[in-house]
Amino acid sequence: MIGLNHYLVLAAFIFCMGIFVMITKRNAVGILIGVELLLNAANLNLVAFSVYGPSSLTAQLSGQITAMFVIVLAAAEAAVAIAIFMNFYNLRSTIDVDLANELKG
Amino acid sequence: MAHTMALLLLVGVFVPLVAFVVLAFFGARLGKPRAGYVAVAGIGISFVCSAIVLLMWRNNPQPGVVNFLEPWAYLGTMPVNFGVNLDSLTVIMFFMVTLIATCIFVFSLGYMAGHSDEVDGQCKYHRFFTYLSLFAFSMLGLVVAPSLLFLFIFWELVGVCSYFLIGFYFHKQSATNASMKAFIVNRVGDFGFLVGLMMVLYFLGDVSLAGSAETFAESAGQFVSHGGDMNTFHPRETHRADQLFQPGPLGVMLATWMGICLFCGAIGKSAQVPLQVWLPDAMEGPTPVSALIHAATMVAAGVYLVARIFALLTPGASMFIATIGCVTLTMAALIAIVQTDIKRVLAYSTLSQLGYMIFGLGVGAWIGALFHLLTHAFFKALMFLGSGQVIEGCHHEQDMTKMGGLRHKMPWTCWTFLVGVLAIAGTGIPGIGLGIGGYFSKDEILAVAWHRVNGGEAEHHAAGYGDGVEMALAAADTGHGHATKADASAGHGAAGQSAGPVAEKLPYWLFLFPVFIAYVTPFYMMRCWWMTFMGKPRDDHVYEHAHESKLMYAPLVALAVGTVFASYWLFRPMVADSAPTVVLSQAFDGHAHDADHAQGALIDHGAHTAMIFYVGFAFVVGFGIAYAIYKNGLAKAEGLKARLAPVHKVLWHKFYFDEVYNTVFVYGTSRVVAVISWWIDKYVIDGVVNLAGWVTRVVADVSGNRMDARGMVNAPPSTRARDWFMAVVLVLAAYLVWSGFWPGDFQAGVWIAFVVFLLVLGVDGLVNDLGGMAWDTAGMMRRPQSGNIRTYVILAAGAAAVAIVLVLILVGESSTASVELVAR
Repeated sequence: MIGLNHYLVLAAFIFCMGIFVMITKRNAVGILIGVELLLNAANLNLVAFSVYGPSSLTAQLSGQITAMFVIVLAAAEAAVAIAIFMNFYNLRSTIDVDLANELKG
Repeated sequence: MAHTMALLLLVGVFVPLVAFVVLAFFGARLGKPRAGYVAVAGIGISFVCSAIVLLMWRNNPQPGVVNFLEPWAYLGTMPVNFGVNLDSLTVIMFFMVTLIATCIFVFSLGYMAGHSDEVDGQCKYHRFFTYLSLFAFSMLGLVVAPSLLFLFIFWELVGVCSYFLIGFYFHKQSATNASMKAFIVNRVGDFGFLVGLMMVLYFLGDVSLAGSAETFAESAGQFVSHGGDMNTFHPRETHRADQLFQPGPLGVMLATWMGICLFCGAIGKSAQVPLQVWLPDAMEGPTPVSALIHAATMVAAGVYLVARIFALLTPGASMFIATIGCVTLTMAALIAIVQTDIKRVLAYSTLSQLGYMIFGLGVGAWIGALFHLLTHAFFKALMFLGSGQVIEGCHHEQDMTKMGGLRHKMPWTCWTFLVGVLAIAGTGIPGIGLGIGGYFSKDEILAVAWHRVNGGEAEHHAAGYGDGVEMALAAADTGHGHATKADASAGHGAAGQSAGPVAEKLPYWLFLFPVFIAYVTPFYMMRCWWMTFMGKPRDDHVYEHAHESKLMYAPLVALAVGTVFASYWLFRPMVADSAPTVVLSQAFDGHAHDADHAQGALIDHGAHTAMIFYVGFAFVVGFGIAYAIYKNGLAKAEGLKARLAPVHKVLWHKFYFDEVYNTVFVYGTSRVVAVISWWIDKYVIDGVVNLAGWVTRVVADVSGNRMDARGMVNAPPSTRARDWFMAVVLVLAAYLVWSGFWPGDFQAGVWIAFVVFLLVLGVDGLVNDLGGMAWDTAGMMRRPQSGNIRTYVILAAGAAAVAIVLVLILVGESSTASVELVAR
């Protein structure tokens, strides 16, 4: 039977995977995917805690509704990020983020 | 015993997943031939498992659901189990899928051997087998799934694998477009499936196949025994499922809506009208993928789903399903007549045959439809792999007008392909039970339809309304719950005038179109075969290059044997074993559901005798016309094409579905979005910006400094008095706000006044100090700012890790709270 620990371990695994992807990928879309993994790992925690944690209905729902907000935010973030990638691609004909270092201090 | 079988099936499901994981991580290192061997080994083990299970099942069938993790998880308060839905349909489907997948994997070894390994510096060979393994895992998981939830999970996995595989040649724009189209069109159908799943979850309170059917049957029985009119039926307080038998949107019963929503998933996956547009484009994938998608797996998933939810379908939903199937099979077959791309002909013939299956399920020919699914899987895989051999041998030439005469160069492919053509055409000698493929399976669907047209079910019901209900209730008691269909239709029969669609007697046209298409099918398949293999070579270049390889035609022979085998032995009785019996007894008057008599009853039965009259010689007619037109090259066909130009144009454009969808959905959506976003940009975002500018200007006006075209205008000395005045006003205002217009708290008011005063006077100093600090800090912080996103991620992650460690060390006590939470 699946308990809270399963969700937490899975979320931690996904989170680490997301960070790994973000560190290792040079492809901007790959990094975006890594970000999505991070967000969804956090989502998983939110939902898992809302189900297994507090007993009041309001508290349970708040975790799930926060997860909904995160999903919507992730969609918006993806839209903005992809718009940036498109412009970057038009500029450089590549989406290798190592070439996007104009903002270095 | 049952446990062993279920365990073997699970091993069969998960071995391809292991192969997938191995290939995903080590595929590139394994290199060209070895990566393929891993995948073949994986599916081979699955096949062995399924064969063992089949043998065990033949000795000692033990239907039931074997749960391994019970409960696996909770949806709210409802437990969801993880296990294997063990019945003869599962066993035989599993066997079919693994057998055909093994053939296709072996074929792929040969097919991919001739491909360039790299595109854009990315090794492709192992990726192909990686995806294939994942696809096999998804499909096998779908077959054994005991609940709608698991069905849905594997369903989506199948969808995403098809996306990977159709877009395998990702360097081709058309292939990536096709993969996106397949995925998005499938999403449309899946959304319906999801809604249906939610309805099942909400109303029936159980997503397992058996449990939901049981609840549904119980409520349906209640509904029927209360007169069966949804407008007067009062649901019991304690049974939420009763609410399904009330009017829903458009005056259609909610239960019917539920069935239609679930069927929407099948519309997408099995490419029925109106979501059929993705399947022909999916031909952009490699040919083995087409064979896998179009024969054994993806499109079969839709039919399999409908078969599994059969007990949840009301007569209205069944009617809807039959209509969709009928429209699809007719349209697709007509389009197939004019196609010249060998794979597209096969794609449309697949659509048409899927239409037959869906139609069969709609009219209640449960056995016939699934039998057709199995035989079709064999002969369609056979023909697709044959076409793959042709395409590979002819250097990726797919146009049949450039082929011809290939029988000399590819004898194995030619004659095995002919077996497929004979099978799909339903060739057989009526009366003595000698035939192949569609002769048994397709004709069985038509026989049931004919029976229904003649009011077979209606007569049956007129005799025994009460029986239907009792059967439903009995089924509910014993927990098999397959009787729903009968009682629900009995209910409709009783309330014949009620608003829902009534399905006692099938409209005649629903029988006529499938019969007509049974004549068209042999024609376009023979046309395809003749243009490719017979006659004279039309393109010397293609002809000279043509060759066939052993690794590729060996699976063809296996599949050709399998086609013949599947037509006669094992498959139909296995399907018939797990059929919802009541439905069949309606259609066959209780004869054919008995597996032992099945084949004999089918041939002796009146309905089938009539089928001999209707379609028994369809293949002769179809083959004859095709031979007459194409025996001397394409000249006669070109003449016909010119004479029937308008018809040809409509068919060539596939009834303009793509064009209409592009105009309405793609272009329409982008126009609407463009207008809306322009409006928001113009009035909302620009409005906010303009408002901010306006506010700034007003404030600047008041404080005495403002920008004009030449830059900052220094305030003239006279305004310094106004600044002091402003300061005093601000102090007073702050005091009034703080004290709430109450003179008592004088001290606090003075403090605030002092601070504000300091701010107003000391602003410059403060700003300068802050600026200096910021400058120094920035100098320090410059160094780590490489501008490289990945460095930032490393830094952030490292900092987070350090923070977590610190928290764990420093505040160890407070973390016990979360430990308690975890322990609960």
